[in-house]
Amino acid sequence: MMNTGSSSGGRTLWASTTSGSGKRIQKELKELDCPPLSSAGPIAYSINHWLATFLGSPGTPYEGGIFFLDILFPNEYPFKPPKVMFKTRIYHCNVDSSGNVYLDILKDGWSPALTISQVLLAVRSIFLTPDPYNALVPSIAHLYQVDRKRHDELAAEWTHRFAK
Amino acid sequence: MSFLNCFSSVMANNSSNCLELDHHEETISDSFICCVCLDLLYKPIVLECGHVSCFWCVHKSMDMVHESHCPICRNPYHYFPNICEMLHFLLLKMYPLAYKRRGKQILEEETARNCFSPQLDCEEDNSTDGSKPSQDANAMSDPASSSCITRVGENSSKMYSNGSDDIKEKDLSAINKEKVSSCDVLCPACKELLYRPAVLNCGHGSNSKASAKKSFITPFRGSEDFIPWWNEHGSKVHAGAGCDYCGMCPIVGNRYRCLDCVELMGFDLCGNCYNTRSKRPGRFNQQHTLDHKFELVKQPDNLQNLMVRLVGGHLIDSSGAPVLAISAIEDPPDGWIAVESVDDLVNPGNNVAAADESPGDMHDDTDTQDGSIEVEFVDALEVSEDNAASLSHLDHNIDQDGNKDPPF
Repeated sequence: MMNTGSSSGGRTLWASTTSGSGKRIQKELKELDCPPLSSAGPIAYSINHWLATFLGSPGTPYEGGIFFLDILFPNEYPFKPPKVMFKTRIYHCNVDSSGNVYLDILKDGWSPALTISQVLLAVRSIFLTPDPYNALVPSIAHLYQVDRKRHDELAAEWTHRFAK
Repeated sequence: MSFLNCFSSVMANNSSNCLELDHHEETISDSFICCVCLDLLYKPIVLECGHVSCFWCVHKSMDMVHESHCPICRNPYHYFPNICEMLHFLLLKMYPLAYKRRGKQILEEETARNCFSPQLDCEEDNSTDGSKPSQDANAMSDPASSSCITRVGENSSKMYSNGSDDIKEKDLSAINKEKVSSCDVLCPACKELLYRPAVLNCGHGSNSKASAKKSFITPFRGSEDFIPWWNEHGSKVHAGAGCDYCGMCPIVGNRYRCLDCVELMGFDLCGNCYNTRSKRPGRFNQQHTLDHKFELVKQPDNLQNLMVRLVGGHLIDSSGAPVLAISAIEDPPDGWIAVESVDDLVNPGNNVAAADESPGDMHDDTDTQDGSIEVEFVDALEVSEDNAASLSHLDHNIDQDGNKDPPF
């Protein structure tokens, strides 16, 4: 046997997996369970392209900010992870300046059984508690560990500048 | 070796749930929803850890280069298991409408791709499956022969406490011929109701006590020492090719490819299984027979070569379109521009030749000596297509996107 199941040649595959991933995305949309202070849904034109909105949690430096995230589902979804990008600039050690998010479950830790609700939950959790040990921006991670107060001031300032 | 929640939940619920089940609107229990496609399980496969997915969901989520992991618990496994027929027929009986609808759906997808899952005669269950319903009917109509039910009561009264209910129900259900009974979930070894069922790699279920523990020869080590393992065995890994008899995937060591099987999937055996010679049809419904000839597949390329070609990514045909699509768009992801030139270096003129071929022809290439490797390239190719697709989605260039789709 050969792995033609997921690779029966470029063109043929595209047609078949698009429908497969589309069906699953629609199911997820129907049963979407967004974490508190967030919402998500497809943008017009394509079910593969979603926009998620997060409100900064009270008590964090991101309070009062509104953060937009782009979610792109590849055609091989759920066998490949969705791509999640911050559209709003944020001062956060796990988010780099072009909006890429570091989340284990969006890279090697992906499993086809994970759903977008769980991805949103993971994003929510790095909002609440940044993970300085897996940072994309080492300088922010360093500041977060060394001078938490200064970090929070800067994050609040960025939130005020970019997310309001 | 596994304990199956699914089976247990059938046994716990089968008397109560069946009554509630409206045959026009089948409500499917969460236990039978595939975690990957979020739909009713179809041709279920039980992994070593006991988690269940559809046949194609398992196959598509397998890692074709290294060991695969269960989508739910990430338990590593190396062998593509067979379909659990008992669960398959049980589902067919419990949700006949939904299950047949799923079957039709999957068959359409398989026809479009021209590769099929094993056929289990589920379509003609009323005729070919005659033995099972009749057994069932006996159990239902004849209280004397319903020994299995009383035994069930003795065995696992906790699971199956409402035995009397069950019998009443059966009196009522002369109409309801497809009712699930304990006869559907008997252990083939001890002929009693399955208790803490385990499913073997061959897809057969039995009581965990009755089933002898089968240990697989594991060609892999834990993922943490992947690099030393790869240094030692990397040259013997046939990425993307699996054994059609034992299910080892990818094949490590000798790989024998059938020269006479015409199916898209091809028919491969690992060294051990070649020496014992398979008598079964393949896992993808290949019509393999004993008089087919095999060839020993040349050792796969070494790692360096493999990586160069993976980065090149476009040795397989039909690469012309996606490469052009990407280079037409600004700012492609890293590596994809370089790709074009590497590709040209590795195999000049490939794109030109490829562009002329129709999508249906592309698998002719698997007939070459490099068949096992090229499958990997398709993955890379898919990524590039994916990029092309997502980029064009970003541009909202729907028409162009639509034109690139094959006319299926």
